Amino acid sequence: MTDTTFPQVRIAPERLLNPDTVERILNKIFCINGVRRMLLNGHRLPAIVPYGPAKGQLNPHEMRRVIKVGDQEVQLEIHVGNIILELENRDPIPELKAACDEVFTQFSYRLQEGRFMKTEASLVDYAKYGPDADKNLLGLSDPKSRSGPVILQGTR
Amino acid sequence: MAYKPQFFPGSTHIADNRRKVLDPNHKLEKIRDISDKDIVLLMGHRAPGSAYPTAHPPLSEQQEPACPIRKLVTPTDGAKAGDRIRYIQFTDSMYNAPCHPYIRSYLESYRFRGMDPGTLSGRQIIECRERDLEKYAKELVSTEIFDAARTGIRGSTVHGHSLRLGEDGMMFDMMQRFVLDKKTGIVKYVKNQISEPLDTEVKVGKPMDDKWLKAHSTIYHSLVGVGTRDDAELVEYIQRIHSLRVKYGFMPKE
Repeated sequence: MTDTTFPQVRIAPERLLNPDTVERILNKIFCINGVRRMLLNGHRLPAIVPYGPAKGQLNPHEMRRVIKVGDQEVQLEIHVGNIILELENRDPIPELKAACDEVFTQFSYRLQEGRFMKTEASLVDYAKYGPDADKNLLGLSDPKSRSGPVILQGTR
Repeated sequence: MAYKPQFFPGSTHIADNRRKVLDPNHKLEKIRDISDKDIVLLMGHRAPGSAYPTAHPPLSEQQEPACPIRKLVTPTDGAKAGDRIRYIQFTDSMYNAPCHPYIRSYLESYRFRGMDPGTLSGRQIIECRERDLEKYAKELVSTEIFDAARTGIRGSTVHGHSLRLGEDGMMFDMMQRFVLDKKTGIVKYVKNQISEPLDTEVKVGKPMDDKWLKAHSTIYHSLVGVGTRDDAELVEYIQRIHSLRVKYGFMPKE
C-alpha cells in the first residue's frame, strides 16, 4: 500500500523487455536518487507447466532468469512489460527520461505520471491476505509469496 | 446470371487480402517447406511413422444404414479409414499477423471438407479426422497465412495474441514453444503444441519483415496498420447489416 503523497511514474515500452534490457534500465534507475519503490509488471513465466497435457514438466524460458541490479540478484519470473516507480518527489523524472532514452533505442516508450499502485487495501486483499498482511506490499506483490521483495541498498 | 461470391466488402488492401484468402479458387502462396514428419511432430498426436489409431472400423468393413445423405456425401480419406478426431490450434498476433481466427474459420470452411473450426478471440482450433488434419495443417503452416513470429501453433496456454511483441519481434508465449535462432534468424519449434519438449527441433523459416506483414495482413488495426474506420465501404456495409438486423423485428421492406 502506498502513500498518496508520493508521485508515481510508469515506464511503458513498445515491446516486452528482454532480461538484458531490464537489467540495463534498472541499473540506470538504481543510480538515480529519489526512487522509493519499484514494481516490475509483466506476464508470468512459470518454472513448471501449471496445467494442460504437459502439466508438471519443466518450462525452460529465455526470459526467466536472474539479473543483477546494483549488488542484488533478482529472479525475473515475468516477461517484463511495464516498470512502475514510486518517487520521493518529481525531481528525478528528467533523469528517468534520460535513462529511458539511452536504453530504449530500438523502440519507443511512454513515461506516464499518475497513480499506478494501490492506495488502500481492497476487499479482495482483505479476503485473500487477512487483516495482518504487510501493508507495504499490498498491491505490489503477493504478501504470502515465499520470495518477498528485493531490497536494493541505496546509493546515498 | 450465375451467382458470383464477393467474399468480403471493403476498399482497403486488408479487404483485398481477406477476399484473396477466402476465395477457394485462389491458391495460397507457398512460402516455406515443411515435411509431413514435422507437422506430425508439431501437433504431437502420434509418433511420426506410426499407424493412425482408429475410432471405428473402416467404412468399407462396416454395414452402413440406408441413408440418402450418406449416398450424397463422399467421405473424406480419414472418415473412410475410421481415424480419430484430432486438432491443431493457432494463435495470431494482433500486430499484423497474416491471418486471424475469424478469417481462418471462414477460409477453412471454404477450402476444406469434413472439419469443424472453433473461433475464439485469441485462438482458432480446427478439428477433423487425423489424416485429413495433417493434410490441412500442412497447407495452413506452409503458406502465406502463417508467419513464423506472429502466428503460433498452440494447443494449450495460447495467451499472447493481444500482447506487445518481444524485442526480437516474437509473439509472447508463456511456454516458449518457438524460439528465434539469433545466428541464423530462423524460428524453430522446441516444443509441440501442447508444450511437450521435442527430440528434434522443427524449423519453420524466417519471420517475415514488417513491410511484408503490413502488405499481407488481414487484420484491421488502427495503431499498426489500417483501422476499420478507414475503410468507408466496410463501415457502410457493417452499418447496413446492423440497421437491417435491428429493423428485422419490425419486418423490414426494401
